[in-house]
Amino acid sequence: MAQFLFLLFAIFTVLCAVGVVVNKNAVNASICLILCLVGVAGLFVQLDAYLLAFVLLLVYAGAVAALFLFIVMLLDVQGKETFGLRGFRTIAGFVAFALLLAGIGSVALKGQIVSSPPVSVAAGAQLKLYAYQLFTTYLLPVQIIGFLLLISMLGVIVLSKKHEIAEDAK
Amino acid sequence: MDISVLQTLASRNLWGAITPEILLGGLALVLLVIELLFPKEHGRIVPVATLVGLVTILGGVLFNAPSAYLNQETFNGLLLHTHGGQIMRIFFLLAAIMVCVIARVSLAKQSLPRVEFYHIVLVVTAAMMLLAQSNHLVLFFVALETVTIGLYILVSYYRTSLTLEAGLKYLVMGALSSSLMLFGIVLLYGVAGNPALPAHTAQSMHYGQLAAFLAANPHNFLASIGIVLVLAGVAFKIGAFPFQIWVPDVYQGAPTPVTAFLAVSSKAVGFTALLALAGTVFASYAWLVAPVLTFFAATTLLFGNFAALTQHNVKRLIGLSGVSHAGFLLLGVAAVSRAPMAVGAIYFYLFAYLLASFAVFGVMAHVAGANDADQELDHYAGLAKDRPFLALVLALGLGSLAGIPPLVGFMGKLFIFIAAFQAGLYGLLAIAVIGVVVSIYYYFGWIKAAFFETWGKSVDAPTHPERTPVDFVTGFALSALALAVVVLGFYQGPLGAWLSAR
Repeated sequence: MAQFLFLLFAIFTVLCAVGVVVNKNAVNASICLILCLVGVAGLFVQLDAYLLAFVLLLVYAGAVAALFLFIVMLLDVQGKETFGLRGFRTIAGFVAFALLLAGIGSVALKGQIVSSPPVSVAAGAQLKLYAYQLFTTYLLPVQIIGFLLLISMLGVIVLSKKHEIAEDAK
Repeated sequence: MDISVLQTLASRNLWGAITPEILLGGLALVLLVIELLFPKEHGRIVPVATLVGLVTILGGVLFNAPSAYLNQETFNGLLLHTHGGQIMRIFFLLAAIMVCVIARVSLAKQSLPRVEFYHIVLVVTAAMMLLAQSNHLVLFFVALETVTIGLYILVSYYRTSLTLEAGLKYLVMGALSSSLMLFGIVLLYGVAGNPALPAHTAQSMHYGQLAAFLAANPHNFLASIGIVLVLAGVAFKIGAFPFQIWVPDVYQGAPTPVTAFLAVSSKAVGFTALLALAGTVFASYAWLVAPVLTFFAATTLLFGNFAALTQHNVKRLIGLSGVSHAGFLLLGVAAVSRAPMAVGAIYFYLFAYLLASFAVFGVMAHVAGANDADQELDHYAGLAKDRPFLALVLALGLGSLAGIPPLVGFMGKLFIFIAAFQAGLYGLLAIAVIGVVVSIYYYFGWIKAAFFETWGKSVDAPTHPERTPVDFVTGFALSALALAVVVLGFYQGPLGAWLSAR
């Protein structure tokens, strides 16, 4: 059963990844990217990394890729530029492909990682453990991120709103 | 997980240890409240409140020095309160005070909201102070991102086309450097957590644990890639040679107080990080770190000085001269492993650079017109006749940056050179001396423009923008800087002893 599920999600992920590259339409490519991330999240679930799967769905599939989709739709770039395999791009493509082959080959030839000693559950694996760590050990960074979000919000307001108030104070 | 374990973990969060940073954050929030409560007068109240708050916090830090938490780890090892961290706390507070003083002059020429500017300066300063004491890569990265994102906003604050261009360039370059650094951190985390290697650790983001792991595996390939990537990320922040391309454009486009903030505080952040990482954590990889630092130092020194020669825009000039100062500091960092006095020399150089730079930037803010990016050398014509006080401060600041004895900049360079000599870096030392000679040319071109240009030219039609009169606070701050530049050149006394103490 586990083998079957792994194959299912793996093939689904690879097909979607191919879809991102092959699709000429930018909207379709973005949707393929989201589906690809869903497939990866499925693989994470099989590895018992529920939190990672959840974060991947929430942050990447939910927010980042959906944002891509919105931008693509807003800019309406579909089909205006066609990316052909010409000149430098061809070489870059072949180099990337060769690197990929080398990577797969080295894993296949050098074999699997031999029985590494059992690892204690990492903090990122379980939601409860993660939350405990976040609010005890890493409380200070969480607080700093709070301020970071505050200044980002202020920055967006300052940089984007119109200033008609010509400083009454002067 | 057991509740008592959690309680122990939580009890190690000693908030008292970071009182100055908490107060800065609180002050930043108070500014927003002031804007709400006094919609009419906040333009006047906010800068004063910021300055009073900053001076009070600085006084508190000085009064409580040395901190009760010295050489102690707090927040479960996220922070380590070292002597160097205390020094840099005071450094960043001083820099924030001067940025706010300059911002008062500069922002008066624009009709823009004030509160957000001071708010972001305060939050960024607090993050810098935490970064100087960080002992863990997670906290390091979070604090660094807070600094960088705050600076993205500040760089494009004036929203003219040049400013926005600078902001965008800084954003793209900053994001690139952050991702390089993050990639390096992740590699180090992964390698150090690999159970197949000796001395592996679950806490591989902690500086001490990471250093122990690296010492046990002195030639790990993945770890060395991680180290190079982290160093490259830091080199972006300090504007070292192969990663300096953003410097001139961003320095020119950014508002003058922000240029000063970038030049002094942001560079100092990079060097505190470099001292902590290259000096201690990566110490067992000296075979790799030393050549990389030597390369950075040599190319940065040469590039910064020769590129600054041809500049006519003073902000670009000071930006590129800032690159060369990064080169001198890198020379110090390269010497740290073999000459321990280099650490004190770097701190002294940073303070000398702070005093002289803010003197120069203070004058620049007065000479600049409403178009902040357009500050040419020609605008300084007749400054000595027109505003003798500003011209004097400018001459002292520039002289100190150039390293003319008896000013403080000379002593800073001298200490760095002595450290480099002790470490046996003779080649780098020769390059640095060439750099000093070249730098005198362009610094004195600026002084010449301010002092001698009026004679021989008709001054009927002044081509420079109107110069702002100096008010009491700015005058006081600039006089204090100029005085410190002169006095510290003659007598370093307790300050020098404190900076070089271990």
